[in-house]
Amino acid sequence: MDQNRQGARASYVALAIFVALWVLLPSAVRRLNREAFAEFQAPALHLLGKSRDMATFWEKKSRSTEEMAAAGRDLARINAALEIKLNAMDDVRRENVRLREITRYVVPAEYMSVVARVATRDSSSWWQRIVIRKGRNDGIRPGAPVVFGNNVVGRVTAVHLTTSEVDLVTSPGFRCTAYLEGDEQNRIALVNGVAANSLGTAKSRVSVIPHDYTPPAGQPARVFTTGMGGVFPSRLLLGYLDGGTYSTPVGNFKESLLIPSRDLYNLQEVSVLVPLHQNPGEALMQGDQFQ
Amino acid sequence: MGWAWLILALATYPWLLGADLASDVFASSSLTLFVSGACLIAPSRRLRRWQAVLFAAFLGFLFEARRPVPDGTVALVLVASVIFLSSNRQLLRNTPGMLRAAVIVNILACLCWYLGAAFLAPVVAVDPFGQFCLQMLVAGLLGVVVLLPVALTQNAAMDRLGVPPAPETP
Repeated sequence: MDQNRQGARASYVALAIFVALWVLLPSAVRRLNREAFAEFQAPALHLLGKSRDMATFWEKKSRSTEEMAAAGRDLARINAALEIKLNAMDDVRRENVRLREITRYVVPAEYMSVVARVATRDSSSWWQRIVIRKGRNDGIRPGAPVVFGNNVVGRVTAVHLTTSEVDLVTSPGFRCTAYLEGDEQNRIALVNGVAANSLGTAKSRVSVIPHDYTPPAGQPARVFTTGMGGVFPSRLLLGYLDGGTYSTPVGNFKESLLIPSRDLYNLQEVSVLVPLHQNPGEALMQGDQFQ
Repeated sequence: MGWAWLILALATYPWLLGADLASDVFASSSLTLFVSGACLIAPSRRLRRWQAVLFAAFLGFLFEARRPVPDGTVALVLVASVIFLSSNRQLLRNTPGMLRAAVIVNILACLCWYLGAAFLAPVVAVDPFGQFCLQMLVAGLLGVVVLLPVALTQNAAMDRLGVPPAPETP
Protein backbone atom coordinates (compact mmCIF):
# COMPACT_ATOMS: atom_id res chain seq x y z
CA MET A 1 0.00 0.00 0.00
CA ASP A 2 2.84 2.32 0.96
CA GLN A 3 4.62 1.47 -2.27
CA ASN A 4 1.45 2.37 -4.20
CA ARG A 5 1.22 5.74 -2.45
CA GLN A 6 4.88 6.44 -3.11
CA GLY A 7 4.44 5.50 -6.76
CA ALA A 8 1.45 7.83 -7.06
CA ARG A 9 3.40 10.67 -5.47
CA ALA A 10 6.31 10.08 -7.85
CA SER A 11 3.87 10.10 -10.78
CA TYR A 12 2.37 13.42 -9.69
CA VAL A 13 5.85 14.91 -9.37
CA ALA A 14 6.75 13.59 -12.84
CA LEU A 15 3.53 15.08 -14.21
CA ALA A 16 4.30 18.46 -12.65
CA ILE A 17 7.79 18.40 -14.18
CA PHE A 18 6.31 17.43 -17.54
CA VAL A 19 3.78 20.28 -17.36
CA ALA A 20 6.60 22.74 -16.66
CA LEU A 21 8.64 21.34 -19.56
CA TRP A 22 5.58 21.37 -21.82
CA VAL A 23 4.97 25.06 -21.11
CA LEU A 24 8.64 25.91 -21.71
CA LEU A 25 8.98 23.83 -24.87
CA PRO A 26 9.26 25.76 -28.15
CA SER A 27 5.91 26.03 -29.91
CA ALA A 28 7.32 24.10 -32.88
CA VAL A 29 7.48 20.94 -30.76
CA ARG A 30 3.86 21.31 -29.68
CA ARG A 31 2.84 21.99 -33.27
CA LEU A 32 4.72 18.90 -34.44
CA ASN A 33 2.92 16.84 -31.81
CA ARG A 34 -0.47 18.23 -32.90
CA GLU A 35 0.34 17.60 -36.55
CA ALA A 36 1.39 13.99 -35.83
CA PHE A 37 -1.90 13.22 -34.08
CA ALA A 38 -3.90 14.94 -36.82
CA GLU A 39 -2.12 12.85 -39.46
CA PHE A 40 -2.79 9.72 -37.42
CA GLN A 41 -6.53 10.39 -37.75
CA ALA A 42 -6.47 11.35 -41.43
CA PRO A 43 -6.86 7.80 -42.89
CA ALA A 44 -9.89 7.14 -40.70
CA LEU A 45 -11.49 10.41 -41.83
CA HIS A 46 -10.84 9.52 -45.47
CA LEU A 47 -12.36 6.10 -44.92
CA LEU A 48 -15.39 7.69 -43.28
CA GLY A 49 -15.90 10.11 -46.15
CA LYS A 50 -15.44 7.42 -48.78
CA SER A 51 -17.93 5.11 -47.08
CA ARG A 52 -20.45 7.95 -47.13
CA ASP A 53 -19.79 8.47 -50.85
CA MET A 54 -20.20 4.75 -51.41
CA ALA A 55 -23.55 4.76 -49.57
CA THR A 56 -24.72 7.67 -51.74
CA PHE A 57 -23.53 5.84 -54.86
CA TRP A 58 -25.50 2.69 -54.03
CA GLU A 59 -28.53 4.75 -53.07
CA LYS A 60 -28.41 6.42 -56.49
CA LYS A 61 -27.70 3.15 -58.23
CA SER A 62 -30.88 1.67 -56.79
CA ARG A 63 -33.03 4.21 -58.64
CA SER A 64 -35.11 3.11 -61.58
CA THR A 65 -34.00 3.51 -65.22
CA GLU A 66 -36.96 5.84 -65.93
CA GLU A 67 -35.88 8.11 -63.11
CA MET A 68 -32.29 8.22 -64.41
CA ALA A 69 -33.47 8.88 -67.97
CA ALA A 70 -35.61 11.80 -66.73
CA ALA A 71 -32.66 13.19 -64.75
CA GLY A 72 -30.41 12.85 -67.82
CA ARG A 73 -32.96 14.67 -70.00
CA ASP A 74 -33.23 17.50 -67.45
CA LEU A 75 -29.46 17.77 -67.28
CA ALA A 76 -29.19 17.94 -71.08
CA ARG A 77 -31.66 20.86 -71.12
CA ILE A 78 -29.76 22.66 -68.36
CA ASN A 79 -26.48 22.07 -70.24
CA ALA A 80 -27.92 23.57 -73.41
CA ALA A 81 -29.09 26.67 -71.53
CA LEU A 82 -25.72 26.97 -69.81
CA GLU A 83 -23.85 26.73 -73.11
CA ILE A 84 -25.75 29.76 -74.40
CA LYS A 85 -24.94 31.62 -71.15
CA LEU A 86 -21.28 30.57 -71.45
CA ASN A 87 -21.00 32.12 -74.89
CA ALA A 88 -22.57 35.34 -73.62
CA MET A 89 -20.15 35.36 -70.67
CA ASP A 90 -17.22 34.93 -73.02
CA ASP A 91 -18.23 38.13 -74.81
CA VAL A 92 -18.57 39.91 -71.46
CA ARG A 93 -15.13 38.66 -70.39
CA ARG A 94 -13.49 39.96 -73.56
CA GLU A 95 -15.18 43.31 -73.12
CA ASN A 96 -14.08 43.35 -69.47
CA VAL A 97 -10.44 42.68 -70.37
CA ARG A 98 -10.55 45.42 -73.02
CA LEU A 99 -11.96 47.97 -70.56
CA ARG A 100 -9.41 47.01 -67.90
CA GLU A 101 -6.60 47.53 -70.38
CA ILE A 102 -7.96 50.97 -71.30
CA THR A 103 -8.35 52.09 -67.66
CA ARG A 104 -5.18 50.28 -66.45
CA TYR A 105 -7.24 48.64 -63.71
CA VAL A 106 -5.37 46.62 -61.05
CA VAL A 107 -6.23 42.98 -61.68
CA PRO A 108 -7.70 41.32 -58.56
CA ALA A 109 -6.08 38.20 -57.12
CA GLU A 110 -6.47 35.07 -59.20
CA TYR A 111 -7.46 31.80 -57.65
CA MET A 112 -7.04 28.13 -58.37
CA SER A 113 -10.19 26.23 -57.47
CA VAL A 114 -9.73 22.92 -55.65
CA VAL A 115 -12.91 20.89 -55.19
CA ALA A 116 -12.96 18.90 -51.96
CA ARG A 117 -15.41 16.52 -50.30
CA VAL A 118 -16.44 17.15 -46.70
CA ALA A 119 -15.19 14.44 -44.33
CA THR A 120 -16.71 15.51 -40.99
CA ARG A 121 -18.28 18.47 -39.28
CA ASP A 122 -17.40 19.49 -35.76
CA SER A 123 -18.88 22.27 -33.68
CA SER A 124 -19.14 23.55 -30.15
CA SER A 125 -19.71 26.96 -28.59
CA TRP A 126 -16.16 27.94 -29.48
CA TRP A 127 -15.66 26.54 -32.94
CA GLN A 128 -17.66 25.52 -36.00
CA ARG A 129 -15.53 23.60 -38.41
CA ILE A 130 -15.60 21.12 -41.22
CA VAL A 131 -12.77 18.82 -42.24
CA ILE A 132 -12.27 18.43 -45.99
CA ARG A 133 -10.50 15.61 -47.80
CA LYS A 134 -7.87 17.73 -49.53
CA GLY A 135 -4.70 19.09 -48.00
CA ARG A 136 -1.16 20.27 -48.55
CA ASN A 137 -0.61 17.59 -51.19
CA ASP A 138 -3.36 19.22 -53.29
CA GLY A 139 -1.93 22.71 -52.99
CA ILE A 140 -4.26 24.02 -50.28
CA ARG A 141 -2.77 26.71 -48.06
CA PRO A 142 -3.94 28.18 -44.73
CA GLY A 143 -6.17 31.22 -45.08
CA ALA A 144 -7.62 30.21 -48.45
CA PRO A 145 -11.34 31.03 -48.84
CA VAL A 146 -13.80 28.15 -49.09
CA VAL A 147 -16.95 28.57 -51.16
CA PHE A 148 -19.88 26.61 -52.53
CA GLY A 149 -20.96 28.12 -55.81
CA ASN A 150 -21.28 31.83 -55.09
CA ASN A 151 -21.70 31.33 -51.34
CA VAL A 152 -18.96 31.74 -48.78
CA VAL A 153 -18.55 28.69 -46.57
CA GLY A 154 -15.53 29.76 -44.52
CA ARG A 155 -11.78 29.87 -44.53
CA VAL A 156 -9.06 27.22 -44.25
CA THR A 157 -7.47 27.40 -40.80
CA ALA A 158 -5.19 24.38 -40.67
CA VAL A 159 -3.76 22.28 -43.47
CA HIS A 160 -2.46 18.75 -43.08
CA LEU A 161 -1.06 16.43 -45.74
CA THR A 162 -4.37 15.08 -47.04
CA THR A 163 -6.97 16.91 -44.96
CA SER A 164 -7.72 20.54 -44.06
CA GLU A 165 -9.78 22.22 -41.38
CA VAL A 166 -12.17 24.97 -42.41
CA ASP A 167 -13.56 27.58 -39.99
CA LEU A 168 -17.16 28.23 -41.04
CA VAL A 169 -18.67 31.70 -41.47
CA THR A 170 -20.40 31.27 -38.10
CA SER A 171 -17.26 30.25 -36.23
CA PRO A 172 -16.04 32.73 -33.59
CA GLY A 173 -12.68 32.93 -35.35
CA PHE A 174 -14.17 34.11 -38.66
CA ARG A 175 -13.99 37.77 -39.65
CA CYS A 176 -14.38 39.70 -42.90
CA THR A 177 -15.67 42.95 -44.35
CA ALA A 178 -18.98 43.13 -46.21
CA TYR A 179 -21.30 45.24 -48.34
CA LEU A 180 -25.01 45.26 -47.63
CA GLU A 181 -27.64 45.00 -50.30
CA GLY A 182 -29.56 48.23 -50.66
CA ASP A 183 -26.72 50.45 -49.47
CA GLU A 184 -26.07 52.62 -52.52
CA GLN A 185 -22.93 54.14 -51.04
CA ASN A 186 -21.31 50.72 -50.54
CA ARG A 187 -20.26 51.43 -46.97
CA ILE A 188 -18.34 48.69 -45.26
CA ALA A 189 -19.79 46.52 -42.50
CA LEU A 190 -18.01 43.84 -40.48
CA VAL A 191 -18.99 40.18 -40.26
CA ASN A 192 -17.70 38.01 -37.47
CA GLY A 193 -18.75 34.68 -35.99
CA VAL A 194 -20.21 34.55 -32.52
CA ALA A 195 -20.00 31.90 -29.83
CA ALA A 196 -23.04 29.63 -30.08
CA ASN A 197 -25.27 29.94 -27.03
CA SER A 198 -28.18 27.70 -27.77
CA LEU A 199 -29.15 24.52 -29.54
CA GLY A 200 -30.26 26.54 -32.55
CA THR A 201 -28.31 27.10 -35.73
CA ALA A 202 -25.16 29.17 -35.29
CA LYS A 203 -25.19 32.67 -36.78
CA SER A 204 -22.70 35.46 -37.35
CA ARG A 205 -22.93 39.07 -36.35
CA VAL A 206 -22.91 41.96 -38.82
CA SER A 207 -21.68 45.10 -37.07
CA VAL A 208 -20.76 48.69 -38.02
CA ILE A 209 -23.94 48.98 -40.10
CA PRO A 210 -24.46 52.71 -40.84
CA HIS A 211 -27.26 54.26 -38.82
CA ASP A 212 -29.16 55.48 -41.87
CA TYR A 213 -29.09 52.09 -43.60
CA THR A 214 -32.51 50.65 -44.40
CA PRO A 215 -32.77 47.04 -45.61
CA PRO A 216 -34.74 46.51 -48.83
CA ALA A 217 -38.42 45.94 -48.16
CA GLY A 218 -40.06 42.57 -48.60
CA GLN A 219 -36.92 40.43 -48.68
CA PRO A 220 -33.97 39.75 -46.38
CA ALA A 221 -30.98 41.92 -47.28
CA ARG A 222 -28.09 40.03 -48.83
CA VAL A 223 -24.56 40.49 -47.47
CA PHE A 224 -21.62 40.32 -49.91
CA THR A 225 -17.85 40.18 -49.51
CA THR A 226 -15.98 43.36 -50.40
CA GLY A 227 -12.84 41.77 -51.82
CA MET A 228 -10.76 43.98 -49.54
CA GLY A 229 -7.95 42.39 -47.57
CA GLY A 230 -7.19 40.02 -50.41
CA VAL A 231 -8.67 36.88 -48.82
CA PHE A 232 -12.13 36.62 -50.40
CA PRO A 233 -12.94 37.64 -53.97
CA SER A 234 -15.51 40.43 -54.09
CA ARG A 235 -19.30 39.98 -54.44
CA LEU A 236 -19.51 36.50 -52.95
CA LEU A 237 -22.66 35.91 -50.89
CA LEU A 238 -22.00 35.67 -47.15
CA GLY A 239 -25.64 35.34 -46.15
CA TYR A 240 -28.75 37.31 -45.29
CA LEU A 241 -29.52 39.79 -42.52
CA ASP A 242 -31.70 38.08 -39.96
CA GLY A 243 -34.76 40.28 -39.39
CA GLY A 244 -34.14 43.94 -38.71
CA THR A 245 -31.14 45.85 -37.49
CA TYR A 246 -30.80 47.21 -33.98
CA SER A 247 -28.70 50.01 -32.52
CA THR A 248 -25.52 49.22 -30.59
CA PRO A 249 -25.33 50.36 -26.96
CA VAL A 250 -23.21 53.34 -28.03
CA GLY A 251 -25.71 54.14 -30.74
CA ASN A 252 -23.34 55.19 -33.52
CA PHE A 253 -23.92 52.11 -35.60
CA LYS A 254 -26.41 49.31 -35.96
CA GLU A 255 -25.95 45.55 -35.72
CA SER A 256 -27.76 42.52 -36.99
CA LEU A 257 -27.36 38.78 -37.15
CA LEU A 258 -26.36 37.00 -40.33
CA ILE A 259 -27.95 33.78 -41.53
CA PRO A 260 -25.47 31.85 -43.68
CA SER A 261 -26.53 31.56 -47.31
CA ARG A 262 -26.36 27.75 -47.24
CA ASP A 263 -27.02 25.16 -44.56
CA LEU A 264 -23.36 24.80 -43.69
CA TYR A 265 -23.81 21.47 -41.93
CA ASN A 266 -25.33 19.74 -44.93
CA LEU A 267 -22.61 20.47 -47.46
CA GLN A 268 -21.10 17.46 -49.19
CA GLU A 269 -18.60 19.27 -51.38
CA VAL A 270 -16.91 22.68 -51.34
CA SER A 271 -14.37 24.57 -53.45
CA VAL A 272 -11.21 25.97 -51.96
CA LEU A 273 -10.01 29.09 -53.78
CA VAL A 274 -6.24 28.95 -53.46
CA PRO A 275 -4.63 32.28 -54.43
CA LEU A 276 -2.14 31.78 -57.24
CA HIS A 277 0.18 34.25 -55.52
CA GLN A 278 0.53 34.40 -51.76
CA ASN A 279 -1.06 37.57 -50.36
CA PRO A 280 0.11 39.49 -47.26
CA GLY A 281 -2.88 38.37 -45.17
CA GLU A 282 -2.13 34.76 -45.90
CA ALA A 283 1.50 35.19 -44.91
CA LEU A 284 0.35 36.65 -41.58
CA MET A 285 -1.97 33.69 -40.99
CA GLN A 286 0.90 31.26 -41.29
CA GLY A 287 2.53 32.82 -38.22
CA ASP A 288 2.77 31.13 -34.84
CA GLN A 289 -0.27 32.94 -33.47
CA PHE A 290 -2.59 31.39 -36.01
CA GLN A 291 -3.39 28.15 -34.21
CA MET B 1 3.62 -6.33 -22.52
CA GLY B 2 5.14 -2.91 -23.17
CA TRP B 3 3.00 -1.97 -26.16
CA ALA B 4 -0.29 -3.03 -24.58
CA TRP B 5 -1.30 0.61 -24.08
CA LEU B 6 -0.85 1.40 -27.79
CA ILE B 7 -2.76 -1.67 -28.97
CA LEU B 8 -5.47 -0.86 -26.44
CA ALA B 9 -5.58 2.72 -27.76
CA LEU B 10 -6.02 1.39 -31.30
CA ALA B 11 -8.81 -0.89 -30.04
CA THR B 12 -10.46 2.13 -28.38
CA TYR B 13 -10.09 4.40 -31.41
CA PRO B 14 -13.28 3.20 -33.20
CA TRP B 15 -15.26 4.44 -30.19
CA LEU B 16 -13.62 7.85 -30.45
CA LEU B 17 -14.32 7.89 -34.16
CA GLY B 18 -17.93 6.94 -33.41
CA ALA B 19 -18.16 9.90 -31.03
CA ASP B 20 -16.78 12.16 -33.78
CA LEU B 21 -19.42 10.79 -36.16
CA ALA B 22 -22.14 11.49 -33.61
CA SER B 23 -20.72 15.00 -33.15
CA ASP B 24 -21.01 15.37 -36.92
CA VAL B 25 -24.72 14.53 -36.67
CA PHE B 26 -25.24 17.04 -33.84
CA ALA B 27 -23.02 19.69 -35.44
CA SER B 28 -25.92 22.06 -36.11
CA SER B 29 -26.62 22.11 -32.36
CA SER B 30 -23.04 23.16 -31.52
CA LEU B 31 -22.53 20.07 -29.37
CA THR B 32 -19.35 18.03 -29.19
CA LEU B 33 -19.79 14.50 -27.94
CA PHE B 34 -16.84 13.80 -25.69
CA VAL B 35 -16.08 10.25 -24.49
CA SER B 36 -12.30 10.22 -23.92
CA GLY B 37 -12.74 10.45 -20.14
CA ALA B 38 -15.00 7.40 -20.03
CA CYS B 39 -12.46 5.42 -22.08
CA LEU B 40 -9.90 5.68 -19.26
CA ILE B 41 -11.76 3.75 -16.61
CA ALA B 42 -11.22 0.11 -17.61
CA PRO B 43 -7.51 0.57 -18.50
CA SER B 44 -6.97 2.31 -15.12
CA ARG B 45 -8.04 -0.89 -13.36
CA ARG B 46 -5.73 -3.25 -15.21
CA LEU B 47 -2.84 -1.51 -16.93
CA ARG B 48 0.31 -0.60 -15.08
CA ARG B 49 0.43 3.05 -14.11
CA TRP B 50 2.95 4.15 -16.74
CA GLN B 51 1.01 2.33 -19.45
CA ALA B 52 -2.23 3.96 -18.34
CA VAL B 53 -0.51 7.36 -18.37
CA LEU B 54 0.66 6.88 -21.96
CA PHE B 55 -2.78 5.65 -22.94
CA ALA B 56 -4.44 8.73 -21.39
CA ALA B 57 -1.97 11.12 -23.04
CA PHE B 58 -2.59 9.45 -26.41
CA LEU B 59 -6.37 9.86 -26.08
CA GLY B 60 -6.01 13.47 -24.96
CA PHE B 61 -3.72 14.46 -27.82
CA LEU B 62 -6.02 12.71 -30.30
CA PHE B 63 -8.94 14.87 -29.17
CA GLU B 64 -6.92 18.08 -29.29
CA ALA B 65 -5.30 17.48 -32.66
CA ARG B 66 -8.16 18.86 -34.76
CA ARG B 67 -9.71 21.33 -32.36
CA PRO B 68 -8.71 24.82 -31.23
CA VAL B 69 -7.99 23.77 -27.65
CA PRO B 70 -4.76 24.88 -25.91
CA ASP B 71 -2.05 22.27 -26.49
CA GLY B 72 -1.95 19.60 -23.83
CA THR B 73 -5.04 20.67 -21.87
CA VAL B 74 -7.07 17.49 -22.31
CA ALA B 75 -4.02 15.21 -22.32
CA LEU B 76 -2.69 16.56 -19.03
CA VAL B 77 -6.08 16.43 -17.33
CA LEU B 78 -6.59 12.84 -18.47
CA VAL B 79 -3.09 11.89 -17.31
CA ALA B 80 -3.70 13.44 -13.87
CA SER B 81 -7.02 11.58 -13.67
CA VAL B 82 -5.47 8.28 -14.63
CA ILE B 83 -2.71 8.67 -12.04
CA PHE B 84 -5.37 9.25 -9.39
CA LEU B 85 -7.51 6.33 -10.57
CA SER B 86 -4.64 3.85 -10.86
CA SER B 87 -3.50 4.81 -7.36
CA ASN B 88 -7.00 4.36 -5.93
CA ARG B 89 -8.17 1.22 -7.67
CA GLN B 90 -10.50 0.38 -4.80
CA LEU B 91 -12.75 3.14 -6.14
CA LEU B 92 -13.22 1.16 -9.36
CA ARG B 93 -13.95 -2.19 -7.68
CA ASN B 94 -17.60 -2.40 -8.78
CA THR B 95 -19.77 -1.15 -11.63
CA PRO B 96 -21.38 1.78 -9.75
CA GLY B 97 -17.90 2.97 -8.78
CA MET B 98 -16.72 2.73 -12.38
CA LEU B 99 -19.81 4.60 -13.60
CA ARG B 100 -19.25 7.33 -11.02
CA ALA B 101 -15.60 7.63 -12.06
CA ALA B 102 -16.55 7.73 -15.76
CA VAL B 103 -19.00 10.56 -15.18
CA ILE B 104 -16.61 12.59 -13.03
CA VAL B 105 -13.56 12.16 -15.30
CA ASN B 106 -15.57 12.82 -18.47
CA ILE B 107 -17.13 15.99 -17.04
CA LEU B 108 -13.80 17.17 -15.61
CA ALA B 109 -11.96 16.74 -18.92
CA CYS B 110 -14.86 18.29 -20.82
CA LEU B 111 -14.86 21.25 -18.46
CA CYS B 112 -11.13 21.73 -19.05
CA TRP B 113 -11.33 21.73 -22.86
CA TYR B 114 -14.40 23.95 -22.80
CA LEU B 115 -12.69 26.55 -20.63
CA GLY B 116 -9.44 26.18 -22.58
CA ALA B 117 -11.23 26.78 -25.87
CA ALA B 118 -13.06 29.75 -24.34
CA PHE B 119 -9.68 31.15 -23.31
CA LEU B 120 -8.39 30.86 -26.90
CA ALA B 121 -11.58 32.11 -28.58
CA PRO B 122 -11.35 35.61 -30.03
CA VAL B 123 -14.88 36.54 -28.94
CA VAL B 124 -16.79 36.58 -25.69
CA ALA B 125 -20.03 34.61 -25.44
CA VAL B 126 -23.01 36.74 -24.49
CA ASP B 127 -24.70 34.12 -22.34
CA PRO B 128 -22.49 31.04 -22.25
CA PHE B 129 -24.05 29.41 -19.19
CA GLY B 130 -26.81 27.49 -20.97
CA GLN B 131 -24.55 25.92 -23.57
CA PHE B 132 -21.91 25.22 -20.91
CA CYS B 133 -24.41 23.35 -18.72
CA LEU B 134 -25.71 21.45 -21.72
CA GLN B 135 -22.21 20.38 -22.77
CA MET B 136 -21.41 19.18 -19.23
CA LEU B 137 -24.73 17.34 -19.01
CA VAL B 138 -24.05 15.58 -22.31
CA ALA B 139 -20.53 14.67 -21.15
CA GLY B 140 -21.92 13.18 -17.94
CA LEU B 141 -24.62 11.23 -19.76
CA LEU B 142 -22.14 9.91 -22.28
CA GLY B 143 -19.90 8.78 -19.42
CA VAL B 144 -22.76 6.55 -18.21
CA VAL B 145 -23.94 5.36 -21.64
CA VAL B 146 -20.57 4.64 -23.19
CA LEU B 147 -18.68 3.16 -20.25
CA LEU B 148 -19.99 -0.40 -20.38
CA PRO B 149 -19.58 -1.09 -24.13
CA VAL B 150 -16.18 0.61 -24.17
CA ALA B 151 -15.05 -1.27 -21.07
CA LEU B 152 -16.20 -4.56 -22.63
CA THR B 153 -14.16 -3.87 -25.78
CA GLN B 154 -11.13 -2.80 -23.77
CA ASN B 155 -11.33 -5.77 -21.39
CA ALA B 156 -11.55 -8.14 -24.37
CA ALA B 157 -8.48 -6.49 -25.90
CA MET B 158 -6.59 -6.62 -22.60
CA ASP B 159 -7.51 -10.31 -22.13
CA ARG B 160 -6.05 -11.09 -25.54
CA LEU B 161 -2.93 -9.07 -24.74
CA GLY B 162 -2.42 -11.06 -21.54
CA VAL B 163 -2.85 -8.10 -19.20
CA PRO B 164 -3.55 -9.51 -15.69
CA PRO B 165 -7.15 -9.05 -14.51
CA ALA B 166 -8.03 -6.38 -11.96
CA PRO B 167 -7.54 -7.72 -8.40
CA GLU B 168 -10.72 -8.25 -6.39
CA THR B 169 -9.23 -6.49 -3.36
CA PRO B 170 -6.73 -3.90 -4.57
